[in-house]
Amino acid sequence: MIKITELEKIYRTEEVETIALNKLSIEVKDGEFVAVMGPSGCGKSTLLNILGLLDDPDKGSFIFNQIEVADFNERRRADLRKHNIGFVFQSFNLIDELTVFENVELPLIYTGVKSADRKKRVEEVLDKVQIMHRRNHYPQQLSGGQQQRVAVARAVVNKPKLILADEPTGNLDSHNGNDVMQLLTELNEQGTTIVMVTHSEHDAGYSHRIIRMLDGQTVTENILV
Amino acid sequence: MFYNYFKTAFRNLLRNKGYAAINIVGLAVGIAACLLIFLVIQFETSFDNFHKKKNEIYRIGTELPGADGMNYTAGCALPVGPQLRLDFPQVKEVASIFNQGGQITIDNNGSQKKFNADNFFYAEPEFFSIFDFGWLSGNPQTCLKDPNSAAITQEVAEKYFGDWRSAIGKTFKYENKTPYKICGILKNIPANSDFPLGIVVSYSAINSTYLKDNLKDWVSTFGDAYTFVVLPPEISQIKFNEQLKAFSKKHKPAEYAKEASYAQPLTEIHFDNRFGNFSGHTFGHSLIEALALIGVFLIVIASVNFINLATAQAVNRSKEVGIRKVLGSNRLQLALQFLGETFLITFAAIIFAVGIAIIVLPLVNQLLEIKMSINFIANPVVTLFLVTTLVLVTFLSGIYPAIILSGFNPITALKSKITSKMVGGLSLRRVLVVLQFVIAQILIIGMLIVVSQMNYFRTASLGFDKAAILNVGLPGDSVSHTKINYVRDALLKNPDIKNVSFSFTSPSSESNWNSDFKFDHSAKTTDFSANLKWADENYFKTYNLQFVAGRAFYPSDTSREFVVNETLIKKLGIRDPKDAIGKQINFWNGAKVANIVGVIRDFNTYSLRKPIGAVVLSSAKDFYQTINIKIKPGAEKATLPFIEKVWNDAFPDYVYEYRFLDDTIAGFYKQENQLSLLYKVFAGLAIFISCLGLYGLVSFMAVQRTKEVGIRKVLGASVQNIVYLFSKEFTLLIIIAFAIAAPIAYYIMHKWLLDYTYRIDLGASTFLLAIAGSIIISWITVGHRAIKAAIANPVKSLRTE
Repeated sequence: MIKITELEKIYRTEEVETIALNKLSIEVKDGEFVAVMGPSGCGKSTLLNILGLLDDPDKGSFIFNQIEVADFNERRRADLRKHNIGFVFQSFNLIDELTVFENVELPLIYTGVKSADRKKRVEEVLDKVQIMHRRNHYPQQLSGGQQQRVAVARAVVNKPKLILADEPTGNLDSHNGNDVMQLLTELNEQGTTIVMVTHSEHDAGYSHRIIRMLDGQTVTENILV
Repeated sequence: MFYNYFKTAFRNLLRNKGYAAINIVGLAVGIAACLLIFLVIQFETSFDNFHKKKNEIYRIGTELPGADGMNYTAGCALPVGPQLRLDFPQVKEVASIFNQGGQITIDNNGSQKKFNADNFFYAEPEFFSIFDFGWLSGNPQTCLKDPNSAAITQEVAEKYFGDWRSAIGKTFKYENKTPYKICGILKNIPANSDFPLGIVVSYSAINSTYLKDNLKDWVSTFGDAYTFVVLPPEISQIKFNEQLKAFSKKHKPAEYAKEASYAQPLTEIHFDNRFGNFSGHTFGHSLIEALALIGVFLIVIASVNFINLATAQAVNRSKEVGIRKVLGSNRLQLALQFLGETFLITFAAIIFAVGIAIIVLPLVNQLLEIKMSINFIANPVVTLFLVTTLVLVTFLSGIYPAIILSGFNPITALKSKITSKMVGGLSLRRVLVVLQFVIAQILIIGMLIVVSQMNYFRTASLGFDKAAILNVGLPGDSVSHTKINYVRDALLKNPDIKNVSFSFTSPSSESNWNSDFKFDHSAKTTDFSANLKWADENYFKTYNLQFVAGRAFYPSDTSREFVVNETLIKKLGIRDPKDAIGKQINFWNGAKVANIVGVIRDFNTYSLRKPIGAVVLSSAKDFYQTINIKIKPGAEKATLPFIEKVWNDAFPDYVYEYRFLDDTIAGFYKQENQLSLLYKVFAGLAIFISCLGLYGLVSFMAVQRTKEVGIRKVLGASVQNIVYLFSKEFTLLIIIAFAIAAPIAYYIMHKWLLDYTYRIDLGASTFLLAIAGSIIISWITVGHRAIKAAIANPVKSLRTE
């Protein structure tokens, strides 16, 4: 699914040069559930942004689904992204002006799914995350756990091959956090590949493999399963 | 997809009600003003364009070379029309029409109804084959052949006879003398025509009036006697005008040969105020351009608000942009989404604008004295204008914010790390605010100058006493003239009436009789004309005209003595007024010859637009048509019924009409008055829309700087410090705007003032007033929001972070 080799990413400001990724090489297989851990500033988020085709590397190779994508332009990245990748964020990132239903529907609109199909698929996925009864509510009217369930629903509605989760339980209490992790595990069991950045050893315990990072490089890899 | 955009857009507007309101109100007001300007221009440019031959019709006016340059009149000498038919057989259609005021009397089974009619015309039947004025009944070719037949419009027929169908065959009397039989009914004349026809009688009827001799007179040019021709395509206007010069030379007496006939296209008649037209209402091209420019200005100001507020607000929208990008939206889709929002706002604004226009239209009609129809919505041209405005404003105001917003990097946007600096709009916003205030201040300075010029007109000394003077008409027939002494004595019996004088016109008048003359036995006529003011000896006392030499003439019915003004003797090169006394003036080769007995101080004979000309005063009872009544100030209203009764007793067959001289003089400046009101409105709108934008901008600034304000206050900043923090930048921007606006406004208004011989000085005070006004208004605008931000509890603002 994912193979990155000798990936480099450097951030420059006028005075400081920060090496975010330093010749990083990682491989993630189809159907894997990988957790990425490490202290703040180790390059986890940069990695996730590049994997999510939101950012491009300065050097190195990134093969996604057997295609070299390191040199894709924004339009091609957006195209690849909307069909293949779902995102779950720490801060949920739902659009405040749209209802639960409309938020989840959004990716389908951008991939050009017809209105009737959209309704069916959104209802299916809302049912799955048990938030159907709140379909006409706005994000502000939901609890954090409910909002993250909506975000997960939005991430999977397009049936992506890969879900990238950035501290998905960071803003939730442990009860709601476990619910979300349970949800991700179920998705993984149904065949979706998941890469999750987390600080929580507990959450990392749900994964198959933990990649630990420091200063833009992998330090260790623990295989849990 | 589009539905989704609109949904988001709509909910966004609902969430940011203040922002939406500022944008919609600003745009609606701007578009409404622009729409009204468009309607006015459309109306004014539609005059007489319903005639099929409109592009081939020309009016034969006259160029009159004078000492102060070329003068123009729309009319011509009466023989011009018939002679054109003989000299130019290639010009197939020629028609003359002559407008005369007068009194209409209708004998209705013994009871008489009297009407004053300004819309009385002598017209040749050909007039109606050149122009497409419809007839409800009758046929111009047969009806206007017979000298004693007339056609009237449906409106006039209904006024005189109740029902137009019953009017046919009825008769009326013109000037209590000539009977006419109605043989045709004209359709009502459209509002957008410069031919306010009411009563049209056969042109041949002139043969039985006092104008009979003028039918062969090549010298006298009548301003209201128009001749129209239809030029065949092979004759150009330029070529025809050359031929007309030769034509005038051939037929006019040698000394008048320079007064050439001049063909002017029908399509110019409504716009060229050098000539004028029957409706008395012209609308210059420069005025159209000025109005169009103001319309564009107002839209630009409103669009600038939009851009400013949208980019200022962009920060708050960055998260949404980030999410949408992560979910797969590309830049074009996002740009379209934001354009969609702009479209929605503009659309709403246009709906409101149309509403405003419908409400305001009657006021505009009243102000400009025009008749625009409220049904403008149904006009496809208006729809096209609105659609164009919608598209144009959407792009003008939406494209920049759309490009900025859609260009956000999704990672930065999601982390809410977009700051107003990254929007790149800060310097642009400053430039745009400056642009707004440049426009607003140009309009304010222009408005102030027009208003002070108007005040000057109202208060300037004209060289004679115009207060509490009533002008009443005096019937022109010789029987009425025998009653002059009776009327004077009867009027003076009232102690509130100070003086009564009979004259041709009042000292300042729109109708002037000019002629050159021979001075002091010279063989040659003067190279300038004198304004002939026929008046009795009481004229000087009534108007308090001051003598610089000599005396008033003695009472007489005919011209035995002349009084002249200072300008006349200056033009003749006489330094000491006393030297002019006793010198002879000879009008029309001995027709009126007398000596100068007095010289009076100059007074204004027409509007202050024109310099004072030479004036000759003399008694000539036959020419009197005005009674000048000086009333005791304060007693004007109370005396009116008395004057009316005396008049009606003396002239029972005529219609009593009066006018205060003050009103007549104010009427000279009607267009300036309309213009000054218009400028006041537009300058007000410009400053209103600009301040609306300023308020929105400061509101956003206040929200964004909440934390900064909190920290400053914790560190000891006072409320004044904070208010100063918010106002200083805008004050600076307004001063920069003023530096740009002042020279532009000076240039424009200086040019405008050059049209007036008597004008105000363009002093610094007007400009200082404009800048002070702008700064104060903007302080009030900014101040409210700044104070609110400044007095907020700093603990609250810091805790939210």
